[in-house]
Amino acid sequence: MLIRLSGGDVVDPVNGKTSQRDVWIRDEVLVDAPKGEAADQTHDVSGCIVMAGAIDIHSHIGGGNVNTARLLLPEHHAAHMPRPANTPLSNAGWSTFQTGCLYAQMGFTTVVEPAMAPYTALHTHLELADIPIIDRATLAILGNDDFTLSLLRDGKSSAMIDDYVAWVVGSTRALGVKVINAGAAAAFKDNVRSFSLDDVVPEYGVSSRKIVKSLQSSVTRLGIPHPLHVHANNLGIAGSADTAAATIAATEGVPLHLAHLQFYGYGTGGKRKFSSEAARLAEAVNANPDVTIDVGQVMFGQTVTISSDVMRQFSAIGNASPKKTIIFDGDGNGGGGIVPYRYKQDYYGSLQWAIGLELFLLIADPWRVFFTTDHPNGAPFTAYPELFELLMSSASRDAKSAELNAAALELTTLASVRREYTLEEIAIMTRAAPAKLLGLKDRGHLGAGAIADIAVYRKGRDIAKMFREAALVFKNGDLVVKNGKVSQYRWGKTLRLNPPPDKAIIKRMKAYHEERYGLSLDWFTFPDSAIQRDEPFAEVPCNS
Amino acid sequence: MSVAWIGSQPVPLTDAIRNAAKLLASCRCPVFTLDTDVHGTRSTIALATMLGGAYDHAKGQVLANEVALFTNHGGMFTTPGEARRRSSLIILVGEIPPLHHDLLQAWATSQPDLGDKHTRRWFHIAGDETSSSYGKRLRQLKAKPLRGEGLSLEATLALLRARLQHRPALSSLSNIDSLEKALASAQFPVFVFSGGSVEAAGLVMLQGLIADLNRKGRASSVFLPADDDAWGSALASLWMTGFPLRTGFINSLPSYDPVQWDVQRMIHAKETDLHVWVSGRGGQTPPKGGKVVLISLSRTDVPTSGAAVTIAVGQAGVDHDGVAYSSRIGTFRAVQAATPSHLPSVSKVIGQLADALPGRREFAC
Ligand SMILES: [Zn+2]
Repeated sequence: MLIRLSGGDVVDPVNGKTSQRDVWIRDEVLVDAPKGEAADQTHDVSGCIVMAGAIDIHSHIGGGNVNTARLLLPEHHAAHMPRPANTPLSNAGWSTFQTGCLYAQMGFTTVVEPAMAPYTALHTHLELADIPIIDRATLAILGNDDFTLSLLRDGKSSAMIDDYVAWVVGSTRALGVKVINAGAAAAFKDNVRSFSLDDVVPEYGVSSRKIVKSLQSSVTRLGIPHPLHVHANNLGIAGSADTAAATIAATEGVPLHLAHLQFYGYGTGGKRKFSSEAARLAEAVNANPDVTIDVGQVMFGQTVTISSDVMRQFSAIGNASPKKTIIFDGDGNGGGGIVPYRYKQDYYGSLQWAIGLELFLLIADPWRVFFTTDHPNGAPFTAYPELFELLMSSASRDAKSAELNAAALELTTLASVRREYTLEEIAIMTRAAPAKLLGLKDRGHLGAGAIADIAVYRKGRDIAKMFREAALVFKNGDLVVKNGKVSQYRWGKTLRLNPPPDKAIIKRMKAYHEERYGLSLDWFTFPDSAIQRDEPFAEVPCNS
Repeated sequence: MSVAWIGSQPVPLTDAIRNAAKLLASCRCPVFTLDTDVHGTRSTIALATMLGGAYDHAKGQVLANEVALFTNHGGMFTTPGEARRRSSLIILVGEIPPLHHDLLQAWATSQPDLGDKHTRRWFHIAGDETSSSYGKRLRQLKAKPLRGEGLSLEATLALLRARLQHRPALSSLSNIDSLEKALASAQFPVFVFSGGSVEAAGLVMLQGLIADLNRKGRASSVFLPADDDAWGSALASLWMTGFPLRTGFINSLPSYDPVQWDVQRMIHAKETDLHVWVSGRGGQTPPKGGKVVLISLSRTDVPTSGAAVTIAVGQAGVDHDGVAYSSRIGTFRAVQAATPSHLPSVSKVIGQLADALPGRREFAC
């Protein structure tokens, strides 16, 4: 099948300047304009913007903790059912089915669930496989398990740590590695209540910094394309900017991705001892090319926070709204906390909102700042269209700022920053850069040979509307969305790495699980056939 | 050997599928009772999404009690693996179903290797209503009983909570001093409960007690479901629709209501005209409901009594591979056929039913 999209403004900064040109799809991939061949199907997309399908690098869309949040909050789902009224937050994308549909309708075609506990990998992959239309991927959590901590305590060789990391990534079908408040979940089990970069996990005598540095090196040595994905210590605390700055300073020439930096953008200034340090952090990011960050923007309204940072979630119980929570001390890297929360337009909410925007606007390089709300922690992903508008229009920011707490905004630089994201910068931040960051060479751009993941938006004054309802979306060449509505269902793939496992480490894992859990290793691993879909996974190569 | 029947007549499987699909297509409001693995559940929910109606579990009442703890309150939990490795103090609450006794035994014969690493000690909180059917197991574990004269389990938990908070209490509990001492020296005490023998209010009281202990120290709980497959079905339902079991569809949107979508109640109240009984375990009898048409997918070698159509299905982990919730590890596990048989899986039969429905519809499985 040969498809032609004719007359659109193609925004594809990887392959050149924005221009009006045709885009051609043959079956599942993009091709150069074929000579002397007529299209089987032509879509007139004049008056539209054509971009590659968007890629979300950090959105909690499935797995144990997300499902536990559904269990805790069935009313949250009921309140977020699709309504006829045009309320942008009216739909939280709460089931796997809705998640796929709502993402596709906005032109997103690949989404990464960033926090898979290795022991619940099968559960995570069952959920991801039930998300229709889009491709998915997930990062395996490491850094709080007894095995890693024991290797570090006992001074084992980096080769052995590499073998273990490779085994976890391969056996859990992950696309990368995430570390969450390194060591804190283990320390919390020993009744430690706060944990910083240079604090030490009891029982092991290993610092958080050491865990992060070891995993960062392993990920790099193993050729895992995505740098270590770091959820730093002290999330959400006044003064956490110091921790984030120290983490940024600790890269030492090795790539590192810092997740949801907004939640660390807090200083201790002002009457309430809660102020913006976004400008300082943006400067630190600008000055350190090893670092990429995503923002974790806060938008206002009801949401639920879902995090494997169990120590932090435990400390947030008092702020739960409604008043019910789940705190889970999982196996090793598992566990976490579910705390429902409502972002109000008060001092704190206004400040968080502004800090996120400051980071977006003050970090100069769109290749190194990523578009996230840490769904659903800062806001549900359904708030993305409004966020695009805030980034692209300083007038929209001014209008929203006028509704918010003035004392909070005065402690930020937001009003003075007049930058407006261009469509090209949006295309880099949400397409080209995520593909590069994750090592997905087959997407994120519209060059010949890329898979035909395409989002077509009707140009209009209302930026949010434009991004909320894509005119057309193609996934692997299938037309899946027309006029903002899903027109065809299909099942995507879960993208994974497959580093070859070392024989000695498998033997060790067998012995470890039999001794420590009294169970054979096959209780903790699974074959692809357990997913019960045709080819549920697609392999992404490691760097050689 | 027959695998399909219309009424009591053996028929080829394709005839039974065609017949069942016709019944499904012409009914007004089908209801589904589940007792199967994750993939059987996924396909049944996908079928219910297409057809409307409602679904529940064969053990829907006790499952609803367990679900209510989470939907109404929440709490603090840990895994069986973490309890084994880290907890030197296990406090059993009420009755723990026999299906979990191997797990308790495995803890009893192992030593914690993390945390305080003390030799494990056991207590058992009981009420007047708590059956002593597992008394022998408790004696093997050397579990010290905590109970009070004439007190229900819920009252015992309330009294224990008051005592640990140093609030005055009218009556006393056996072994309370001993438990207090044990709590003071254990770094990670774990309360173990199931939903079958503790009412929702008692479970909330238990979580309140655990929250109190976490103000200064650490403590958690291990939830052992009354039925692993039922809990697995609840989890699959949550991701597929956003809701646990006892979910129905209104205008093809899912809605959760543990009273309205109680399938047994619906059958008795004649709010449904067709009941699909899915029993991968077999050996159970579907509830009778007057004129409600019954389609039975059951692990059986005879037609189900009263069923318009019976199709024999296998059980995951016995007849075929599958994925089941396992409270041994607190998550899903891939299970292999122990004795592979010719019996098809529930998901396969449901898939065939969906294909045989008239008109092209989207089957999400
Ligand atoms: Zn996150």
